[in-house]
Amino acid sequence: MTGVIEKFFITSMVMWMAPLAILYSFYYGYIPGASQLSAENKTLISGFIAVISVNLVIGFYICMAMKESPSSSNPQPDPKFLAEAKASINQSENAASSSTGVDQTSGKDSDQNKGKME
Amino acid sequence: MTRSSSWLQALVRISPYTFAAIGIAISIGVSVLGAAWYWDLLLAGIYITGSSLIGAAIKAPRITSKNLISVIFCEAVAIYGVIVAIILQTKLESVPSSQLYAAESLRAGYAIFASGIIVGFANLVCGICVGIIGSSCALSDAQNSSLFVKILVIEIFGSALGLFGVIVGIIMSAQATWPAKA
Repeated sequence: MTGVIEKFFITSMVMWMAPLAILYSFYYGYIPGASQLSAENKTLISGFIAVISVNLVIGFYICMAMKESPSSSNPQPDPKFLAEAKASINQSENAASSSTGVDQTSGKDSDQNKGKME
Repeated sequence: MTRSSSWLQALVRISPYTFAAIGIAISIGVSVLGAAWYWDLLLAGIYITGSSLIGAAIKAPRITSKNLISVIFCEAVAIYGVIVAIILQTKLESVPSSQLYAAESLRAGYAIFASGIIVGFANLVCGICVGIIGSSCALSDAQNSSLFVKILVIEIFGSALGLFGVIVGIIMSAQATWPAKA
């Protein structure tokens, strides 16, 4: 899970920094030949390259995410939650059987009772 | 030169810098609204995608890594607004006060205003679209993982809406030239 969050965080940072870096490098002359462009062409080219860079980062993240192997097909419930749920079912069964003295065959407890009878 | 006062005069005598500044504010403000929060009764962007993803991941934790793509799409909508806001603010130039209400100044102010509105509202609806599709993607992927790629294709088409707005906004702002100092 931490790997997923790390990848997401790094992708977000790159997605913000890449277009801003491209825009500022066009306007502050870090790209050779950019200062010779007219203002109109500079706006168009820097804008389009910035937007394309965002889409490239998104495409790269999609490829990385699709390549991840699936961890398991069945969802695994939290063990602490499962233990507490079983304990509460056992508790309610014991309370019911001690009060009435007959086997309970309600829908929820049917699996538990089948296991006991077998 | 005397002019009769009228509503048209009131409109034309608003400084073009006002229009330009409002355009810049709308381009980033409304884009982020669409990327993250809501508009009217429609939940947008990360608000709806994130909450659906977290809810669906309770029973199906495997969906988290792939469905963060939807959150990335919503974030891209906000970034488009930022890119255009930065481009628009570089187009602001000072003109001498004698030229402030010249036709070319007004044209530049209106072009920046229009560019901001185009990008802001295109990204608003794109954010709503991508958010709702992303939410459905998370919920259906939790039930049946073969549906993910199909819904992702629809989401890609949805994010293209914001891209159209950004392209037109950039082209619109490229020809916003203020009069040269006379």
